Amino acid sequence: VSELRFNELRGEHVVYAIHRQERTFLPSAEHCPLCPTRPGKPPTEIPFPAFEIAVFENRFPALQAPHGAAEVVVYTDNHEGSLSTLSPQRAQDLMWVWRQRYAELGAREEVNYVLIFENRGVEVGVTLHHPHGQIYAYPFLPPVPQLELRADERLGGCALCALLERELADGRRLVYENDAIVAYVPYAARWAYEVHLVVRGHRASLLACERDELSALAAALQALVRGYDRVFDRPFPYVMAVHQAPTDSAAREREAAGHVHVEFYPPLRTADKLKYLAGSEQGAGTFIADTVPEESAATLREAIARAG
Amino acid sequence: MAWETAEPPASEQPQIAGSARDERGAASARGERFGPLAVERYAKDDGRALILYRHEGQAQE
Repeated sequence: VSELRFNELRGEHVVYAIHRQERTFLPSAEHCPLCPTRPGKPPTEIPFPAFEIAVFENRFPALQAPHGAAEVVVYTDNHEGSLSTLSPQRAQDLMWVWRQRYAELGAREEVNYVLIFENRGVEVGVTLHHPHGQIYAYPFLPPVPQLELRADERLGGCALCALLERELADGRRLVYENDAIVAYVPYAARWAYEVHLVVRGHRASLLACERDELSALAAALQALVRGYDRVFDRPFPYVMAVHQAPTDSAAREREAAGHVHVEFYPPLRTADKLKYLAGSEQGAGTFIADTVPEESAATLREAIARAG
Repeated sequence: MAWETAEPPASEQPQIAGSARDERGAASARGERFGPLAVERYAKDDGRALILYRHEGQAQE
C-alpha cells in the first residue's frame, strides 16, 4: 500500500510505493508478463492466447482504490514494435480505450486527475519492452495540471488555444499537421526534441473529441514516433503524457479548464547523449537547453518526411 | 465547464448484458460496447480488474 505525503517546502505530494521495488525488471521476451498466455506455459497478466488491447490494474500500483488507480494499457499482443508500428485501425482503437478509461476513472469520486502516459526506452526507466502505456488516476490535482490552469488564468482563457495560435502564426516550430491536429516544438521547450500535439479545436478531453479528431490524433502520434525513430536512426526514447481536463469537483466551475494535448519529453540531445536534470534543473527548477527549438523542429520535419 | 462537455453519449455508458465465470477462473461480463469497441471485463484470480477491448466496426453513437 502506498503512502501519500505532502512536501510543504515544494507544495506538492510525494507517493511512497516501496512495494514497487519488487516489480518485474526487464524480463526476457519468453517471460514477458504482457504477452498473451501461450498453451502449456504459465499464465501471464493476460490469461488468453490472443487479444487486441488489454487494460489491467497494475500488480505493483503506485496508486490504488480508494485513493486512485494505476493501470497498464497493452497496445497489442505482439511483443515487438511500438506505438508507431500498430496498424492505423489499432492506433485509432487505442484512442477510444484512452477515452473510455478517462471517462470511467474520471467519474470516480476520489479521482481528481487522470494521466495517460507512456515511457519508452530504458533511458526513461522502462522495465518492460512490450508495447504498452500506463494510466495513473490521482486523488489530488498534480503540479503540472495546476500550472496549466494557472497559465489559463495568466493568458485570460485557454492557454493551449492561445499558444497554438502563436505557433501557427510563427510556423518555424511546426513539425506536423493534419485536419485536426497540430504538432510543434514549443517556443520554450525544455527538452531538445520536445513536441506537443494539440487538437485544433478547443476540446477539454478525449471525451469531447469527434470521431475524426480521435482518428487524426492516432495518425499524428504514429507519424511523430516514426519520425522520432528516424532522427538518429534508432528507437527514440521518450516520456509521452496525455493532458486533459482535471476531473475534480471544481472542474465544472472553471472556465477553459483544459485542452486535450499530448506532450513528448525525449531525453536524447544527440544520438548518444542524454539530457540530465542536474544542478539548475533540480536545484533551481530552471532548464538549461543545449539546442534551439527552431532547429530541432527543422530536424523533426525532415525526419517525419523521411519516415513517410 | 470542461467536465460538462465530457459526458459520454449513452452508447458509451457501460452496458453489461450478463456475466459468467470464464474457464480461466476469471469472472467476466459481456455485451458492453464503447464506441467501436467491444469491452469484456474480467476479475483476475487476485481480484485485479482486466479489461479486453476488441474492434467491432462502426461506432455506436
